[in-house]
Formats: sequence, structure tokens, C-alpha cells
Amino acid sequence: MTKQAGISMGIVTAVVLAAGYGMYFWMTLEPVLPVGVRYADVEAEIDAGTWGNKSGGGEDVNIEGTFKMFEGEAAGESQSWSNFRGEDFSNVVKNSVPLANSWPEGGPPVMWKVKLGEGHGGAAVLDGRVYILDYDEEEKGDALRVFSLKTGEEIWRRWYKAPTKRNHGVSRTVPAVTEKYTVTIGPRCYTMCVDTETGEYRWGIDMVADYGTDVPLWYTGQNPIIDNGVAVLAPGGTALMMGVDCETGEVVWETPNPDKWRMSHSSIIPMTLHGKRTYVYCTMGGVVGVSAEPEDLGTLLWKSNEWSGSVISPSPVQIDESRIFLTAGYGTGSMMMEVKKEGDAFSAAPIYALSVKEFGCEQQTPIFYKENIFAIMPKDAAALRGQFVCMNPDGKLVWTSGQTERYGLGPFLIADDKIFILNDNGIMTLINASLEGFTKLAESRVVPGHDAWGPMALVDGLLLLRDSKYMLCLDVRAH
Amino acid sequence: MADETKSKVMERMEFIRSSLGKFAALMLGLVSALAARGAKKNNTLWQIDPFKCTQCEKCATECVIDPSAVKCVQQYPICGYCRLCFGYFTPTAPKLTSAAENQLCPTNAIERLFVEDPYWEYNILEDQCIGCAKCVKACEMFGNASFYLQVRHDLCVNCNNCSIAMACPSDAWERVPIDQPYILKA
Repeated sequence: MTKQAGISMGIVTAVVLAAGYGMYFWMTLEPVLPVGVRYADVEAEIDAGTWGNKSGGGEDVNIEGTFKMFEGEAAGESQSWSNFRGEDFSNVVKNSVPLANSWPEGGPPVMWKVKLGEGHGGAAVLDGRVYILDYDEEEKGDALRVFSLKTGEEIWRRWYKAPTKRNHGVSRTVPAVTEKYTVTIGPRCYTMCVDTETGEYRWGIDMVADYGTDVPLWYTGQNPIIDNGVAVLAPGGTALMMGVDCETGEVVWETPNPDKWRMSHSSIIPMTLHGKRTYVYCTMGGVVGVSAEPEDLGTLLWKSNEWSGSVISPSPVQIDESRIFLTAGYGTGSMMMEVKKEGDAFSAAPIYALSVKEFGCEQQTPIFYKENIFAIMPKDAAALRGQFVCMNPDGKLVWTSGQTERYGLGPFLIADDKIFILNDNGIMTLINASLEGFTKLAESRVVPGHDAWGPMALVDGLLLLRDSKYMLCLDVRAH
Repeated sequence: MADETKSKVMERMEFIRSSLGKFAALMLGLVSALAARGAKKNNTLWQIDPFKCTQCEKCATECVIDPSAVKCVQQYPICGYCRLCFGYFTPTAPKLTSAAENQLCPTNAIERLFVEDPYWEYNILEDQCIGCAKCVKACEMFGNASFYLQVRHDLCVNCNNCSIAMACPSDAWERVPIDQPYILKA
């Protein structure tokens, strides 16, 4: 062996010995922290009173949070889509501009695209500004973000720290926007009111801490509404429903909750039943009608526990002055309910019930249009699973999209007598909103990703939609 | 001359003997190769393609051994760890507890453990699982489809004519190489 080889061998041996000693030394050290299974002691937690859904409350969340301005500017006057399902909660665009019956290869032109936190929060639009309650994954908080409808540039943002673990994404809801106030409900039920134009903070409510709200599974999907300057919320817990003055943050009325019905994923829908303005809401426990009239605001008019299910996501749909249609997935099915009025007393009772295989809708709310009900059948609808269907109010199917045309949990919307259906994986289908049958006009991939469940909005021929990570503005106008 | 003739005859015999020997060796080699190939083909196992399975429940009833060699498996990276797991609870479960009336599994073969809010872990207890696929059907329908059926090869006797495979209505059973005994979802 040469001298050089000997030296090389010596160096290698020394390194190996040093490494070996180092490893031995490290393994003989005591661990800094004890290693154990990360499971909680459930029984102990129940005894301690800490058991239950801890997804909200108990933390000192500063809902006022932080405000930041950006360079974007409002696009000027525009049609509005000021809350969940649009102005009249129908998800039908009124006075739509003419829309295209076909799309170029690659789909409708993309006006702009913005990256969001993972989730399903949908957009509201007012005066050329797009409002969305996002989840900022970096800052770990709910963020009300406002974008220009024309360019997609961010105008301002107000966010508050509320760390939320992803559970099929985080964001869920659509803001309610008026000329003066914007109200949001975060996934963990933090409610915020700000000035619509400036983003100035007005008030905030932690529904879990203040009302004992039980945050629904997979976080809340309840969308707020604003009625005559009052934010109407349904916390469940100690208050079935309540009205909060947007200017002051004062709770101006509360509906008691003796049955302890809990918050669902459904939203409050204002209806006029037998000439009486009513807030109709599907809770986890039953469906209720609460007066929206000034003389008895917040009074429980009627309730029924005939309608309930393990997961209630769709909101109630008004059929006429006395009938409301209720539906859900996860094995629940549907129900047509009649609200009766005798003197000043109201009551509600089922007219008919349908099994999940006959009619249901799992996540989105059906649309009542041309006196018929349009929806996507749920996954447990057997042969009809995932099909887009039209049903008359008597509970009879008028048509279905067929075995080869199936959809998922994604949203659908009607405009210019056409139906836009967005599939989970970002494929948009355009069909005629006809009672004659399913007629496809166009189809294209419009968003890049998956879990495209967030509600859509359409103003001035611009369609706002999203998948789990991006929001896009598409030009669907006829040119 | 006679010596020459005799020599030619000897060469011919030698040639024939040599040729026959080589032919025999060739045949032996060919037969050996065919036998080896056949043996290699027989090193396969039965397995279920989870993408074809329709959860018909025949895996629980058709297997020659009892309980079935088919078990549900949990692919944890796919699972949503939801509090309300439709693979665990019946659709009409009055409460989200492990009480028997709330469970979909007829044999209490799914263990539900609280991890941290809002996550719950679901583990298959194979000793109790009968491979009925009730949980698989519901998980695929409403969940992320992390539950699915697989043949457990420490139990399966690898019948040449698997009775479950013959009964499977969706042609989900196939032979897989012994060194790739499971068909896992991505």
C-alpha cells in the first residue's frame, strides 16, 4: 500500500469512527419531550366540559383585525349580485344581457383570475366591486377581499386572525353587501360588519362565544343577509335567529330557541307567505318561519320538525304564497311543505315527501324557474345519481340529463334562459333552461382545479366562479 | 478400402449419435424453459381492483374461508378525518357516538378515535372485518373513498378458481404478481 493510499484510508476510517460515535452519543440522549400518542382522552374532556366542537369561541379573536389598501379601483356602475343567490335569492339573473349560446375552443374568455385560499367562498358584487370572504393561509385568518370587477385587481382587504384547520378547504360563505354595509360570516362563525366602500370596521360577533353556536360539521355554510339595515343571522344556541343593527352592532331582536335547534349549512331565505314577510330557515332539528314584519319582528310564526336530516346544506325554496320546497342529500330526500294561515296563526305541514332516489340535492340549493324545480341529484340517488333534473311542483320528474351527463356537488345558475352547471372538476356545461328536455349548448373546462363547489355570480354578462384555489371572471356575453 | 468404408460408417454413427444427443439436450432445455415459464406464471395472487369494485357484498359471503379473506383497508392520506364519517355512521345516526345503533359496520370493525379538533381517525380492525363493503360503499358515495376492499394474503388460500372472483358482478378480481400483491389507490 502506498503512502497516499494509507493516508486516505486513515481519513476515511477516522470519519467513520467519528460518525459512529456521534450517532451513539445522540441515541443515548434523553428525548427533550416525551413522545406519546396524540389522542385526547375523550371521557376526561367530557368531564372537564371541554368536549364538543371547539372550532370557534374560547379564543380571543380580534374581529376588527387588520386593514390594507391596494391599487385596484372599482369598475364603476354595474349590475349587482349583492348576496347569496342574488338580490331575490332565486339564483336566476334578472334582466341579463344576451349571453353566448356557444363558446370558442378553450371556453369563454377569461377576464381575470386571482388566487385564493383553499375553500368555497363565493362572490357578491356591487357597484363594480367583487366581495369575497377568503381564508388567508399565510396569515391564518378570514379575509374580506374586494376586487375590481373589470380587472380583478384587489382594492382593499380586511382580515382577522382565526386559525382554522382545513376540512375540505376553509372558506365557505358569500358576503351580504348593501350600499352602506357588508356583513360576512366566517367558517368558524365569526361575524363581521364593515363599511361597503371604505372597509371601515363597524362591529363583530363571535357566535360561538356569545350564543353558544355549535359550528356545523366542516364549518358553517350559512350566508348572512341584510334586511333594511339589519343583519339577520341564525346562530342556533341560545338564539334561533337574531337581527343586528348594521350601524351600531346592537342586537335589535332575538328569537328564542327552546328546542335548541342547531345551526345548519343552510341560509335564511326571506319569503312572503300569505302576505307576511317571513325569514325561513332550515335548522338542524326542523324548519322555521320567523316574522320579518316590523310589528312582530323576530317572532316565531311556525315551525316543523317533520323536516330534518344529518346534514342540511340547501336552503329552502319558495314555490308560491303557501308552499316551500326543502331538500338535502346524505339520505334525506325532499319535502314540499305547506304553510297555512288560520286567523293570525300560522302552521306548517308536509304535503308530500320524496326519497333521495326520487329527488334530492346534496350541497347546492335547487332553482325554481318556469314553475319547475331544477337541481342535481345526489350521489345516493341510485340510477339518477349526479343527473341534472327538472321536476314539477307535484313531485314528478319532467326530464333528466341522462346516464352520460352526470354532475357533482358544483353550483348551477340561470341567466338569459340558460343554465350554467359547473362540475366538481371545473367543467362548465351550458344548457337550455327548457321544460322540454336536456339540451346541451356548450361545454368546456373553465377552472383548472378540483372541488369547484363555491356559488357563482353573474353580472353584466360576467360570470364569477371558482375552484378550491382560484376565482375567475369569465365573459359569457353574446358577441 | 474396407477400412475407409468402416471409417465412414463409424463417422456416420458418430454423427447420428451426436445429433441425437444434441437434439435430446435441446428438447430437455425447451421443456425446462416451458416448465419454468409456467411456474413463473403461477406466482400470482388474487386481488380486487378498487376502481371496478361495486361493493356488492359478495366478498363477505362467497369466500371459501369464514370470515372472508377480503378485508376493508383504510388509505389514510385520502381520508378526510371527518367528525361525521359516512363510512362509519349510518345516514340516520341520531348521535355521533360509537354506539352500535349509529354504526354502519355490522361487526364493529371500525375504530373511531379523536385526534384533535376537527379530526377523527378511523382504523379497520381486521380481526372483526368480514369484507361486506358497507363502509366502502358509503365512503365512496359521500366521502373521499379512502375505504376499499383488498384480499389479505395472510388469510387467502389462493384458490385456483376463486369463488368470489367467479361471483363478482363487476369483474373486479384479477391476478396480480406475487411481488405486487395489492392494488392501491394513488
